[in-house]
Amino acid sequence: MDIKILHFYPDLMSLYGSYANVSVLKRRLEQMGSTVKVTPVLPGQEADLSGADFLYMGAGTEHAQKAALADFARYGQTVKDLAESGVTMLFAGTAMELLGKTITDADGKVYDGIGLAGFTAVQGNKRFVEDVYGHTDLYPEAVVGFMNKCSTISGVETPLLTELSLGFGNDGEKAPEGFHRNNVFASQLTGPLLVKNPRMLDAVVDAIYHHRDEPLPAERPTDHWAEDGYLITAEQLKLRSESK
Amino acid sequence: MRMFLAILVCKLGRFVGKLVGKGSSMPGKFALKICPDILRRVQLPPHVIAVTGSNGKTSTVEMIAAILRADGKNVVYNEEGSNQIEGVTTLVLTHATFGGKVKADVLLLESDERYAKFSFQFFHPTQFVITNLYRDQLTRNGHPEWVYDAILPAIHPDTELILNADDPLSSCFAQGHEKVKWFGLDHCSIDLPAPSGVYHDGAYCPICHAPMTYDYVHYNHIGAYRCTSCGHAKPATDYTATAVDLENGTLTIDGAVDIHLAFRSIYNVYNILAAYAACRECGVGGETARGVINNYILKNGRMQKFALGHHHGTLLTSKHENSIAYDTNLRYVASTKADCTVLIIVDAVSRKYFTSETSWLWDIDFDQLDKPHVKRVVLSGRYCNDLAERFSFTNMTNWTVQPDIAAAAAKLKAEGCEDLYVVTCFSDRDKLLAHVEKEG
Repeated sequence: MDIKILHFYPDLMSLYGSYANVSVLKRRLEQMGSTVKVTPVLPGQEADLSGADFLYMGAGTEHAQKAALADFARYGQTVKDLAESGVTMLFAGTAMELLGKTITDADGKVYDGIGLAGFTAVQGNKRFVEDVYGHTDLYPEAVVGFMNKCSTISGVETPLLTELSLGFGNDGEKAPEGFHRNNVFASQLTGPLLVKNPRMLDAVVDAIYHHRDEPLPAERPTDHWAEDGYLITAEQLKLRSESK
Repeated sequence: MRMFLAILVCKLGRFVGKLVGKGSSMPGKFALKICPDILRRVQLPPHVIAVTGSNGKTSTVEMIAAILRADGKNVVYNEEGSNQIEGVTTLVLTHATFGGKVKADVLLLESDERYAKFSFQFFHPTQFVITNLYRDQLTRNGHPEWVYDAILPAIHPDTELILNADDPLSSCFAQGHEKVKWFGLDHCSIDLPAPSGVYHDGAYCPICHAPMTYDYVHYNHIGAYRCTSCGHAKPATDYTATAVDLENGTLTIDGAVDIHLAFRSIYNVYNILAAYAACRECGVGGETARGVINNYILKNGRMQKFALGHHHGTLLTSKHENSIAYDTNLRYVASTKADCTVLIIVDAVSRKYFTSETSWLWDIDFDQLDKPHVKRVVLSGRYCNDLAERFSFTNMTNWTVQPDIAAAAAKLKAEGCEDLYVVTCFSDRDKLLAHVEKEG
């Protein structure tokens, strides 16, 4: 099938190798026989979101995030409608905060998010930088990643990671992390979380297929470098979480 | 009295520490407990030069010290790299009289980006060199703008800033600051027409976030930028590399000072230029500076020559978690001509702290190695799978994986005679050097 991916602000929101989430998803869908078109969405330029199969935005600095929000606000209602209809999307790093009700910066200035979810983000002068090891309700294997943020997020009712044994979650140490509803995935785990977590990549692919009412092939392609890399990181982080 | 006691304790602590081989921060820590504002009370030399930035601090400081000493100045500096307030305190007090006078013409400090504000709340540098600011150790630094905000409180209005004109982010420190001197490169033979690399931190203005354009770049997003909205642009330079030829290893400063480069890297050019600018601002003549930095071989050199079997090897130490350091070394390998193998090792991400974070691999432009003379690439170390996954997204197919570093070295030793470049970090280089014969 033909897949339409929209990558919001690839240069502005590009920290921690965020782009790799799109690269790995595109390659996987192509391996499964799809034709994939990735369209970058740049600030100030018109974008056609109709018929999109996947929306993506990566991590940016706190200043870049506000610049992204200033542009992204005009897509707010459309993105909410697409989410309601089951379109798959991933908002990684500081991009997650754009989906909520408000973002309060370190100086106390409040910005409106698009209100797809009811959570609020409050940024501060302390940074939470730490490896993360946790679990999601989507599949049994552990989720691995790295947290690099300066905000606490309150009011998430449906987190992506329901349990953390290492690292900082939405609003505290070992608290649940991210947001997941319908096919909307959001996480402040930085960088290429779909590369680091092959099962999360599967979950995103499943969601795209499901929304298109396409049957999944009986056998999935596997990426043994990613699988082997995941096993080593998961082992390291599990040991780390047990020693803490 | 407290100052006297703090100096005494610090001097004694340093003496004992040296005997037992301990680090240099503990005596300063004790001194600060006795007299927390000791750094305000002491009488500092007429010149206090600080150097900070993402890359090039240690090399720049080493060259500044060498030039100033050649000019007959008595220089005190933190050669051991203890660049947080405790280490700075140890350095200052061990070189002070019991009356609190630092016995030197120049106090020279390599300063940690995020901790400079703690040291400089008690005194401020007369000259503050900021080499650059870009993605470096993001697991501890967050991101470059976060580091920018951390340095800002360390800048005193009376300090003369010596800034890199070609870096769109660190050049912002000049905003609202009166005393600024600029160093930078003119348009030269090594330039590219547009930013290179897999991410583009110069795409948007760091001040107003409007798109930026470039007349040319020297590497990555370092070059002649111009914001399309607010006017933020590369300023005119006071100290200028007017000609750079990396192939022949030559650099000309201000059209008159010709320097031969012992290491033909764009990094070396910037470090030399920063050191030259700082020393000229302290009154050193151009010819004295040239005499030192011409063919200067860094003591802390991050390039090591070795032999492995029939291979002539070069270790290019690149900080893990620093994509521009990697990119620069990969560019160097790409610029060589003879057939070669490249060994890349990621075993421990950091030597100082635990992390399994490998996102930074995606910020490195490994496709620079896609050259006919790069015959093969070997990926090794605990995180070789993550490296391999990253390489699976490059245009190259001539890469193989050997998780065990000793086995990778043994295999290379047994076969081939092409040049060998090893790209890895301080944290991992000894794991390879244990298997080679070092040269020079």
